[in-house]
Amino acid sequence: MSIHDRASQSGGPATASALLARAAAADLRADRRLATSIDDFFLAGDGRLDDRVRAGLSATLEALVGAIEAAIRAHAARLLAARGLATLAGAVGSGAPVALDRLLAAGLMRDPAVMHELIGRVRQGLIAEALPIEAASGGAGGRADQPSLLARLSRHPDHVVATSAVALLATESRRKAPLLAGATTRTDLPAAIQQRLIWWVAATLREAEAPEGTANTEQLDRALAESAQRSIAAHDEGDRLEAAATRLAVALDPRAEELADLLAEALADQRLSLFIALLGHALGLHYADMRDIVLDPDAERLWLVLRALELDRPAIARVGLALCEADPRRDVEQFADSLDAIVAVDPAQARAAIAPLLLHPEYRAAVLAIARGAKA
Amino acid sequence: MNAGEPVLPLVRGLVDHDGRLVEADPRLHDLNTRAGGSLGEPVAVPQLARLARLTQRLGILVSRGIVAADGPGDLELWVRAEPVAAGVSLTITGWADRAPWTGADAIGDSDHAALAADADWHWETDSALRLTFLTPDVGARHGFDADMLLGAPLTGLFALGEDKSGGFPILGGLALRERFEDQPATLRATGEAVRLAARPRSDARGDFAGFIGAVTVERAAPKADAHTIDDASGAFAVRLDSALRSPLGRIIANADSINAQSEGPLRQDYADYAADIASAARHLMGLVDDLVDLQAIERADFHVATENIDLADLARRAAGLLAVRAADTKVRIDKPTLGEALPAIGEFRRVLQILVNLIGNAVRYSPEGGVIWVRAEREGDLAAIIVADQGKGIAFDDQTRIFEKFERVDPREPGGSGLGLYIARRLARAMGGDIAVDSAPGQGARFVLTLPVQDPATA
Repeated sequence: MSIHDRASQSGGPATASALLARAAAADLRADRRLATSIDDFFLAGDGRLDDRVRAGLSATLEALVGAIEAAIRAHAARLLAARGLATLAGAVGSGAPVALDRLLAAGLMRDPAVMHELIGRVRQGLIAEALPIEAASGGAGGRADQPSLLARLSRHPDHVVATSAVALLATESRRKAPLLAGATTRTDLPAAIQQRLIWWVAATLREAEAPEGTANTEQLDRALAESAQRSIAAHDEGDRLEAAATRLAVALDPRAEELADLLAEALADQRLSLFIALLGHALGLHYADMRDIVLDPDAERLWLVLRALELDRPAIARVGLALCEADPRRDVEQFADSLDAIVAVDPAQARAAIAPLLLHPEYRAAVLAIARGAKA
Repeated sequence: MNAGEPVLPLVRGLVDHDGRLVEADPRLHDLNTRAGGSLGEPVAVPQLARLARLTQRLGILVSRGIVAADGPGDLELWVRAEPVAAGVSLTITGWADRAPWTGADAIGDSDHAALAADADWHWETDSALRLTFLTPDVGARHGFDADMLLGAPLTGLFALGEDKSGGFPILGGLALRERFEDQPATLRATGEAVRLAARPRSDARGDFAGFIGAVTVERAAPKADAHTIDDASGAFAVRLDSALRSPLGRIIANADSINAQSEGPLRQDYADYAADIASAARHLMGLVDDLVDLQAIERADFHVATENIDLADLARRAAGLLAVRAADTKVRIDKPTLGEALPAIGEFRRVLQILVNLIGNAVRYSPEGGVIWVRAEREGDLAAIIVADQGKGIAFDDQTRIFEKFERVDPREPGGSGLGLYIARRLARAMGGDIAVDSAPGQGARFVLTLPVQDPATA
């Protein structure tokens, strides 16, 4: 089910007049439905979401916005109660969730930065979950009862590595466990996006709780704004899964010859986050940019990255196979076809080819924007 | 689940550079021959041929579970394909007929939820039993630093204890790579008593890759705060109804209409998936109904109505309700004849529920073409309905177990929640009656429902 259908579900009790009204509007609705169907049919196949991503995205969006809304409501209600506005506090504190429906209706959720982050996050989770696990014994020919990569690293003699590995296990647990609205305020989003969502949600609450001409609007505004600021202040980007993975990659700081095994092990342990962070660290690329490269089903950039890091044929084959098994958008036969061509690329050539990726991200975005404008 | 079966020896084969099967152990050779191939010819099982080709092109070891058609059925194989000088060597471990869909397992595979219905939180380990996942707020809930335990051995979190029979269920689970339940343990950090349940997960070679587990905190004295639990469970039953029943109803209806292809033609395998979805959802719906009943009968204020009923008539009705299902498996239900009457005291609706459960079980476990006898008899002060089947029977040791919560006559059997008999007996006892069983393996089973007989004076 599409997330956009939500509003139409909440019809009131059916009455004769409502039935007549709906019948009268049937033409219009049929027309709109046809327009949607036509749009749907002509959507380009490339870049369409599959059903799992779509479902994951709906669930994530609902949980994140729900969590933000619950936190803002709870704190704002406390502030209002303390200022002697018990009725308003009660309404704010116990109102039914409105933010997501309102944000969807207003089209704000189409924000590219927000969706980019959420789609990336959902894809990363789904692919990680689908990566073929290998019990650790298979990896480096170790003992049969060898612990998995992160469990082993969490007991590493180097304290920094051990702490970072534990932190990554903990943040992965948090990401994986379902977000319960109200139970958690950890949205694990980048600060800029978190901030934008919080202000949006606060604005929808203002609209819902203070229809025009209500008294105390000023008090409500103050309480909502303070509550939003509190949520923003409580957010720590360093707590994010992505940050934890990056810290572990930095702490490990693998030598070139260790990298291939570590990458393979990270995939075999279903730790896509660590895989991304290790590549990012090796190249000096930001996690979010590296994630885009790893999640890109066309993968040419990823192969160049792996070649630039001087991975050999078996190592690239292992990475490609694991990603093909986990991501339905990739075709393993096609990958096998192109493997020889990938390996034929000289590391120096590969490094030159990916050099633009290493430029400042804002600069790259600007270059891209100019190119888009030139084509239009 | 095949975990209890003896481990099969490895089956090996060799595919040369041109995709021809040049060496094969007998089992592989037979499979290949049945698929129309022979030694020295290209591999005839398409999935194996494709895997060998892929392995050769990638030049690395590839492990995969594949499903191959074999005669009328499907085979599930774990194949390890490794490039060698002469081509690709195949090693096949696990060689099983593909099990048809079974309720309990298929649900358990998807996530934590089905492990233990009353689980408080969850954990996961790797193959070396190091913790790799803990429900995030567990530390806050019990007051210890849960994060620091991630990566530590499972036994760093729990001190495992013996169960009632002096065994350690987790050891059985580990040895046979199967799910285990009711492993007593204490939380090392707090000394709280808990019960553990878990199911194994396997990697691409079919090897053990760790446990996915659940924790249920033992509540010392449920009676102490019976009041609040009651309030909560009443609300719980209502919520269960709206939160689960209506969406499940929608799933069933939609899946059925996809299966019926009522909106237009559809590829057959998708239509078949829809039938699977509908049947799984019906199974869930049955479980929800059972849970609602369970909530009800475990409440302190649960009571049954006292009505004058005719047990023979109820037995005929119950048998009638199950006639279609019985006919599906060509089972005949021999029910009390029309006109036969057996006055008793109980609640009409509840007695019907019990009888449907007993006869339903009999249908489920009856061999094709079997007969189920349903007899109404009076034994002194008691009116009795006897349901006898020709199924495989129940071992003496299991005869008390099957009346316990979440126990099954045969856990491998598809369908059923393991709550039916538990609920049936609780209901019978609440009406002043009981359910008894006598059976021996191979001899079929006899369930006897007794209820107080109706005093002729009140009739």
